[in-house]
Amino acid sequence: MRHWTSALVVAVTGLIAATGASAQQHVLKMLVLSEDAPKVQKVAEAYQAKHPDVAIKMQSAPWDQYFQTAELRLNSKDKSVDLVYVDVPLIAGYASRGFLAPVDPNLDTSALVASSLNAGKYNGKLYALPINNSAQVLFYNKKLFADAGVTPPDGLTPGGTATQAQANEIASSKRWTWEQVAEAAQKLTQKKGGKTAVWGFSFDQINELYQLQPLGESLGTDVISPDGKTAQGYLDSPAWVKGATFWSDLYNKWGVSPKGLSHDEPPQLFANGQLALFAGGTWNLALFQKNGVDFGVAAFPYFQGGKALTPTGSWFIGVAANSVNKDIAADFAKFLTLSDEGTKMWFDANKQLPAYKPLLEQISRSPEFDAFPQDVFRIGVYDALNTAKPRPTTVAYGQLQDAFRTAFADMSNGVPVTDALATAVETYDAAMKRVAQ
Amino acid sequence: MFRQSSQGLLVALLAPALLGLFVFRLYPIAIAVVSSFYTTVHGSTVFTGLGNYESLISDHVFWRSLRVTLWFNLLVNPIQIAISLGLALLYIRKFPGASVYRIFFLIPIGVSVPVAAIVWRIMLSQGGLVNGLLDLVGVPPQPWLTSSSLALYSIIAIATWKGASYWMIFIVGGLQNISPELYDAARVDGVRPWQRLLFITLPLLRPALLFVLAADVSINFLLFAPIYMLTQGGPAGSTDVLMYEAYKQGFIFGDMGRAMAMVVVIVAILLIVVGLQFRLLSAREQGA
Repeated sequence: MRHWTSALVVAVTGLIAATGASAQQHVLKMLVLSEDAPKVQKVAEAYQAKHPDVAIKMQSAPWDQYFQTAELRLNSKDKSVDLVYVDVPLIAGYASRGFLAPVDPNLDTSALVASSLNAGKYNGKLYALPINNSAQVLFYNKKLFADAGVTPPDGLTPGGTATQAQANEIASSKRWTWEQVAEAAQKLTQKKGGKTAVWGFSFDQINELYQLQPLGESLGTDVISPDGKTAQGYLDSPAWVKGATFWSDLYNKWGVSPKGLSHDEPPQLFANGQLALFAGGTWNLALFQKNGVDFGVAAFPYFQGGKALTPTGSWFIGVAANSVNKDIAADFAKFLTLSDEGTKMWFDANKQLPAYKPLLEQISRSPEFDAFPQDVFRIGVYDALNTAKPRPTTVAYGQLQDAFRTAFADMSNGVPVTDALATAVETYDAAMKRVAQ
Repeated sequence: MFRQSSQGLLVALLAPALLGLFVFRLYPIAIAVVSSFYTTVHGSTVFTGLGNYESLISDHVFWRSLRVTLWFNLLVNPIQIAISLGLALLYIRKFPGASVYRIFFLIPIGVSVPVAAIVWRIMLSQGGLVNGLLDLVGVPPQPWLTSSSLALYSIIAIATWKGASYWMIFIVGGLQNISPELYDAARVDGVRPWQRLLFITLPLLRPALLFVLAADVSINFLLFAPIYMLTQGGPAGSTDVLMYEAYKQGFIFGDMGRAMAMVVVIVAILLIVVGLQFRLLSAREQGA
């Protein structure tokens, strides 16, 4: 009788365990940018192969809608979001409103680049892990330079190779100034019958703070005060007036940059051979190679007499505060950002500068990065260590970005520089007062 | 008995419409009004009373946006209705090529607003069709959507292109309700064409015009898509209508309370404007 009972107990426990195991399939849902969703999916599949009880599903939205979608879903305390793909400057705003769960303080994050890691912090606590970093370079169309008889900047070209030391030299002593860019761009712009056939120069992310932050900051003044409370005396300082005047002149005085482009048009112009100089992200390499443009890559310019500064920072991964699977979600975030396997898979798929130190070492040293275009990432390594300047931290980043974007769009359309900057300062300061009440 | 059952029938027949009115019209307005009294501080929703409205009153961006909205509507509505009326008068006349003309002016109705915005963006760009045509007559290219003195008028032109033929249909309906005998009698009495328009057509068209005016004003007060797609409120805030500003506050900056306060302001203005229109146009009818 007793044996029988214990046998039954064992059997029942076994049954419960078995059903428990089959029900333990955890489904994680990740909010992610559409264009990056297939790449995250690849890394997720590798993770699932090791953890068969976990399934990771992407919930994607395109660039134009991603930020609003994420904002709304997180704001509504939606429990079906476990992981969030978050752009670095939004981390403070998300953390301050309780959208993200803090990262376990015992997690060893020493393998991550310190500046990236710090960008994931709010009030001293880490809220998200950097998936990758970003690097900006100056692309030039070799054929258009040759046709116009203008000497191109020193850079890396197809068929060539560069060691880290050679890339360092290009980035440290061969970097063009914006004055050189303006001069060359005017010679390179070609007009045919009142229409511009070839444009001299364009930035990649038109009007965006990420892209244009070095204009004023490389002349010595930040966009906003260190405590984030005001833009007065910063965005309207003489340094920013000078930087913004250069921007305005590109459109209105020299006419070397096309007005009114949408988010993805500038890289397309360069890919079509209609743009001679293009200051943009390394993520454009694949597009330019596919289109067969004959191009070279030099370091991101700076102002004469100023300091070389380059845009940096990119996407992070955070765990949603309302997730019911926080531990598993955190484990996947760790795999994506802190494992040799995950970071390498991500780099191969995404072609952006890593934030994971062992992989940066590999880019610097491994012969697999000697040849063009892989050697371009060596300029990125130099910049990450020497010139990278992160975007400001403020809980009103969305408002800052919008005020900045409006000001730079207006200036390119001919609004006087001081007026546009004054409006941006006023808009940001008013928004900051409301947010920080 | 008969009366009772007919009342029951009345309620039953009206129920779906009334339900729709409550669910899709009154309920959202109630939500907007209630949310406009709340604000979000560090992730939690806090009651602030009239705080959102107070902050709007002291915000010059809001006042600029209100000015742009009113100026836009002051121009776009009379222009659209005048053009629709002209098109409708042409539409009902019989002349060679009338059917071609009719099809031509019905095309914009079939084009969705986003598609229209994209097509016009290409046509109004620096090297676009419009500047190409101007070039033929020796006029230099104009920054249609990128100058603060032109952008709002370009938006008005695009909205009118899209809207005029739509409103034309309603006016054509009204025109066809006017008995032809009246015109015949007028002709016999030797009434001139412009007098016929002024003393016969327009007074009899009043019910149709009242509807078109009220509906057009509502649609134009809430116009959003072309501004979102073409100018994002710029340059220098010249096209920053209240609807766009409210969208930005709510969906980009996550400040729903403030956005709702703006929406309530728009709805209040609309109610006043449409109320005035009804009063003015119906009052005259009573006097007639």
